Parts: sequence; structure tokens; C-alpha cells
Amino acid sequence: MEIEQLEIHDFLLLCHPLNQLSSDELKELAENIEITYFSRNQTVLEPGQHNEWLYLIRSGAVTRTDHNDGLVAQFGQKDFFGHRAIERGGIIKNRVSTIEDSLFYLIPKARYRKLMENNQAFNQYFSQQKHERLKSALQLLRSPPENSLIKSKAADFMHQEVLTLQQQDSIADAALQMKNSHQTAALVIDETGIKGIVTDRLFCTKVVAMGLDTQQPIASVMTPEPISIDRRHSGLEAMLLMTRMNIRHLPVVEDGQLLGMVTATDLMHHQSHNPIYLVNQIHKSQSLSQLPQLSQQLPVVLTKQVDAGLNASDIAYSISSIGRAFASKVIELCVRELGPAPVPFAYMVAGSLARNDQTAHSDQDNGLLLSDQFDASLHGEYFAQLSEQVSEHLNRCGYVFCPGDVMASNPKWRQPLAQWQHYFDGWINSPEPKALMYSSIFFDLRCVYGDQSLFDQLQQHIRELTRNNRLFLAFMAANAQQNKPPLGLFRRFVLEQHGAEHKTLDIKKRGIMPCTDIARVFALDAGTEVINTLERIKRASESGVISNEAAVDLRDSFELLSLIRLQHQVRNIKRGQEANNYINPDELSSLERRHLKDAFELIRTYQDVVTQKYNQGQLG
Amino acid sequence: MFFFRDKQQQLLNRALKNRPSGQLKNYLMTPLPDPQQPISKTQFLVLDFETTGLNAQSDHIISMGYTHISDMRIQLKNSLHQLISTDKKLTSESVSIHQITDDQLQQGMAVEEMMNVLLQQMAGKVIIAHHQAIEYQFIQHLSHNLYGHHLPMRMADTLKIEQHRLQRLNLPISVNQLRLFNLRTSYHLPRYHAHNALEDAVATAELFLAQISHRQANGFPLKLKHILS
Repeated sequence: MEIEQLEIHDFLLLCHPLNQLSSDELKELAENIEITYFSRNQTVLEPGQHNEWLYLIRSGAVTRTDHNDGLVAQFGQKDFFGHRAIERGGIIKNRVSTIEDSLFYLIPKARYRKLMENNQAFNQYFSQQKHERLKSALQLLRSPPENSLIKSKAADFMHQEVLTLQQQDSIADAALQMKNSHQTAALVIDETGIKGIVTDRLFCTKVVAMGLDTQQPIASVMTPEPISIDRRHSGLEAMLLMTRMNIRHLPVVEDGQLLGMVTATDLMHHQSHNPIYLVNQIHKSQSLSQLPQLSQQLPVVLTKQVDAGLNASDIAYSISSIGRAFASKVIELCVRELGPAPVPFAYMVAGSLARNDQTAHSDQDNGLLLSDQFDASLHGEYFAQLSEQVSEHLNRCGYVFCPGDVMASNPKWRQPLAQWQHYFDGWINSPEPKALMYSSIFFDLRCVYGDQSLFDQLQQHIRELTRNNRLFLAFMAANAQQNKPPLGLFRRFVLEQHGAEHKTLDIKKRGIMPCTDIARVFALDAGTEVINTLERIKRASESGVISNEAAVDLRDSFELLSLIRLQHQVRNIKRGQEANNYINPDELSSLERRHLKDAFELIRTYQDVVTQKYNQGQLG
Repeated sequence: MFFFRDKQQQLLNRALKNRPSGQLKNYLMTPLPDPQQPISKTQFLVLDFETTGLNAQSDHIISMGYTHISDMRIQLKNSLHQLISTDKKLTSESVSIHQITDDQLQQGMAVEEMMNVLLQQMAGKVIIAHHQAIEYQFIQHLSHNLYGHHLPMRMADTLKIEQHRLQRLNLPISVNQLRLFNLRTSYHLPRYHAHNALEDAVATAELFLAQISHRQANGFPLKLKHILS
């Protein structure tokens, strides 16, 4: 039989990991396939019975339910099931039934075993547990670091305004010219080309240290025949050359003619996916009108970091640092315009910016904590103006107004310490749904500007309220159940617990938030004050609140979700759109969909863990 | 049903008078599947011929494809696609439908050999085809020419099964609706593009499984007699 001529063969080629088989292995597999059909709502695998097959869904969909008829997972076209039962010696534990008319390709267990033995990719796919698969997915997803220095040419980032001196110019004159032109180096030239280089260091090491007469010609102290680089050489070569020769200035030439100069600073600036550069620019800026322009760099920084294959958590950290730099700069400049504050205050940011989990421009979530010396009749106007202006300028920088009005410009969130403490008393001691929402916003709080000691007092108060407060923990645990991850992602839709379908996945709400909420509960239980999600997970595991295994599961899930979100946002940016959280399942590969499903399943598991651990007998 | 049994018995009696040998004898000595047995225990041969036309007297088989069903699972390993040699020139129309050229047919199997293969495969099985009249007539015509008599056979027809279903439900039937690929769509089976005898046989086999699964969805197992043509 010419199995390759059948469409079945083509279909198998589309299914990971079967596409990793050799053509002989695939042919042998195809020839041994048996086909079966189940109309919808039929049981395919019945607990207690025996399974002899690895099932591949050709069309249709199935659900797997546990012994309590709780939905565990759903599978669609190109998904496999049945292998767990084979690994258990054929014993079926969970019921699998069709939710659509379904056609299955059955792979005999002997064939499955043989491939498990002989094909590494096949083995990896079926033997790895969810968390192991996540780990290898993370490695795959992070694209290999692309060093932009390799691709660029030396000429791309040289600066052209090079200060040139004549050999007979005096040392004093050279120093003056360098000072006036803000250059750290100058080249000494004549009509034949470059004769030597003079750097600011030279004035220390030679002129001053050796007590030279500054009226002598510069040629007597210059470094003759300086090392130069051809314009066509790569940026990487320029950097290596500078490192090897321990120099910080490199003239760029073409056929012996001077074109410009590359300095160590130029190279650093060119590495502008290095967000330190942007943060520095923000800190250096002296007017509010400069900031919106700088904020347009943020999507570029994001894109470069994602393309460079960095960790999602590292990227989120730098994007959050940029966000906080904007916030503190805006506040600083507004204070400068309004004059010094009449009483001490602390400007606080909440949410992802505080957690260092921000991945792009997002809403403002902030509040203003005032000293108890605050007197509304005397100082109210000043802080109203300040917070109004801060919000307005942050909005111009792309950190748009918070739709829930959680901003210091709202008088409710612009209060003296005593009132803030009162707020937290209410939220923590009588947690209603609204209170829990505020708790989860203001629990992740960071001071970005102002009087840190004021902020510390508030934190101290919160700490005392929550310490060993099992009831509040139970409420936060219940709150962490609010957003359930979807069951799975099919080609064109997101499958929900109750069979409903959506066109797009809100990855923030359905994946990242639940994970963040879980980590917050564990951190609260562990009594740790760190607020970054990954750090919370780590601390919770260190203090024994969760197992090391759970910590790894949560960390990898969070990292995968964040990475997929980042890659989606970069696709948004590259298409000229605003970065958002709405992923169309179509834009993901079948492998990404599968890994997301693993992550969702793990998160659901830990949501259940949270319920069992903190809500048993406490609510209801 | 008595008529059924009688007719097949008559055919068998007539055939045995000719002192059959080889595969023919083996086929005739193997009992036909019992119409009272459950479908799930029946073995099926799903068969498709590509022919030069609809008339068994004047047209020729150009290829044959079959697959087996047992335990209600299609057995791909027992499948075959075979070109059949004929001295008749292909018309351009049938070439364009089947994408088979005369040159390829030269290398095909002779009809005598094809019948030997078929007898071996058919023994003890129910034969399924979509619009079975063609397969039935070509087989009986060849049998008559080669062995001097017709064959006792059990056949089921996926087209008739659907027709009966719609009639039972008093639903109107349009012509196109009963085509293999339209029926597949109505059972949510995947769309196939290729058009060769084996692909069609597999497509028919899947449709058959779907029809049976839906009819048994209420929990009552069907017997073979419920679906025989």
C-alpha cells in the first residue's frame, strides 16, 4: 500500500512530535494506524477499563474528567491522549468523552512503545511531565540572542565631529579646544593622515604626572600611530579591539582617510536595548516637554530586548524601571514647578509597576501618602494641583489614566497616613469584594518619590494587620480564584470551562493575573514583603509555605505566560499597533498552544491548592 | 429475510455445481456473515472501483481500492490500492476524473488476478461501498464471465443507509446530499481532496463508522440485518 499517497500521511506530518520521526518510522506508523469514530457525547475511555491505544484526534474534540466528573482538560485536533493509561499498564483513570463528532487515529501501544524507545523527540514529548515540557518550551521560545553588534558596522555608530589638531599646537591649546568642544579625545593630523591621538587621560598620565611644560607641541605627548578600524568592520570587532588594546577611542577610517571616531560610550549607546541608557536619559532630562518623546523609546527597548532573547522577568524588570524613572521624574519636575511641598509626602505606585512585572505602557495606578501634618484647608490645593499635573504628564508619556480612577488625582487616593491606615484596617478586617479588589491593588505598593520613612510607616501598619491573620488570608485566597485560566486553545478559539468559546485570549486576565494572585497569597502566608511575583514564589518556597516543586511549576508557568505575552506585544509593535494583551489563538504555533495549555492546567491546579489550603471551612 | 437467505443459498447451490477450486472454492465454502449477528462483531471489506463508465457489460475497472473494518476500526494495514489492466482505451473524461493514464494501466493487474485477490479478501466479510450497485454489478459480471455464475454476497451501501435514515425521519432528500463527500461533511468528517480508489474506500469506511455510531448513540446495538442492502 502506498501510504504516503493518502491524506492521512500528510495529516501526520502536521502533528508534533510525529513530524520529528524519520520517513521510515512515519510510514511504519501510518500503516499500523486504525481509525475509529465516536459521535458526540460518547465515552471513549472508561475508568476501570483497559486502553491499548495512543489516540490522535483527527477531527472533533474530547474532554477528560476526573472521578468526580470535574473537567480536567479538553483536547482537539492534533492532540494526543491515552498515553498516560498505557504508561500505567493500560489502566484508565479518567473518563474521556467526545464533545463533538470525532474521528480518531489509533496508534497501537506496541508501536508507541517502540517509538518511545527509539525516537528521542517522541519520547521527550510523551514522557515529560507538564513542568518539564514548560522548561524545554522556555528554552525554545527564547530566540537565540542576536547580537546587534555583529550585524552593525563600525561606521554605523561612530560620531563624525572629531576634533583634529595640528602637530605644532601646544598642549595647553589642545586642552582648551577639547574642553570647548566637549571631546574626550582629539586626533593629531597632517596632510598625509592621522599622526597620533590625544585623550583626556593623557593629560593626567603624562602632562600633569610628569610635570610637562604645557607650551610644548602636542606632538611630543600624543600617542603616535593610533590603532584605527576600517568602516566596514563590525561593531563587535570594534568592541573586541578596544577591549584587547585597553583603549576607549577608536578612529574609523576608509583608505587611510579619517571618517569619524567610535568611543566606548558610543558602543554603549548603540546597545540601546540596554534600558540603562533610556533610564539615564530620563534622569538627565530637565523639562516635562522632553519626556513624552523619550517615552516613545519604550516600545523600541521592549522589542530589542525580546528579540535579543532575554528572560521575561529581566525584560519586565527593565520596563518597570523605565516606568518608575518616568514617574519619579514627572513628580520631581512638577514639584519643581509648583515649589516645595508644604508637608512631607510619599508618591506611591501600585500594581505591575510596583511588582516589576510591567511589560509595556500600562494604566497609572498610584496614590499619594501625606504626612499627618496635612491640613486640607492649608495644603489641599497644593497636592490637588500636584497630583493633577502628575497624572496629566504621565498620561502624555503613554501611562494612560486609570479607568478605575485609582490615581492620586482622585481625592480618595490622596490622603494622610492616618486615613491610609484606616483604609487598610477596613480592607483587611472586613473584606468585601470591593475591598479585596483594593487590597490586591494596594498590596503591591512601592514608593517612587518623596519621604520613604512615611511610606515605611504605612507598610509597618499593614504588616501588623496581616501578620497571622488567617481570615484575611482566606479572603485573599478566595479572591485568587476570580480569574480562571481557559481550558485550552484551539485553532480559532479559546475554550472555556463551560464549553463557551472566545475569539481571543486575554493573557493578562486569564493567565498572568491568576498566577500573580496565587503568588501574593503564598507570600502573605510566608510573611514576606517582597512584591515581585517571582521573588514571592521563591520566598514562599524558602519559608516552606510551598514545595520547591510547586515553586518551579509556578515560576515556569509565569515565565512562559510572560514570554508569550511579550512576543505578542512585540508583534503588536512591529505592526504599528499599541501593545495589548489580547492574543488570537491563530497567531500561536500548535506547540505554543500546547505549552500554554500546560501552564493553564498548572495554574488551575495551584488555584485548587490555594482553595484547599486556605479556604477549608473558613468561608461559606 | 427468508427471501434473502434463499437467494444467497440459490446462488451458492448453483455455484457449487461447477466444482469450484482455489480461491473461488475457499470463498464459497466460507459461510456468509449471519444477518442476526451484531454489527460490532462483523468484519467488513470496504471497496471502491474506479471504472471507465457505469455499464458493467461495456465498461472496465481501472483501479480498485479496499480497506477492512473489524471491531469497528478501520485497519489501514489491510488496505490496497491496485491499478487494473484493460485493453480498452481510456476516454479523456475518465482520465481527468481518475488521473490515470493508459501507460500506467499497462502495468496493472489482470481482472482474473484481481478477482482472485477479491475472493480472498471478501470471504466471510460484508462488502461495503458507497452506491454499491457499481461494485456489485462489476463483480457479478466478472464472476459470470470467469466462473459461469454469480456470487453469493452480503453487501451494505452507505448511500442507502443514509437514504433509509432520511426516509425514516420523513426528511426530503436532494440529489447532491447523498454524495460521499457531502455526507462526510454532515457527519463532521474531515474534508479529503485526493481522488483515488483507496482514498475513497477509506472515506467510505469512515462514513460507515460515523453512520453506525450515530444510529447506535441511543444505546441500542444494531444487527447486521438492519443495514444490509
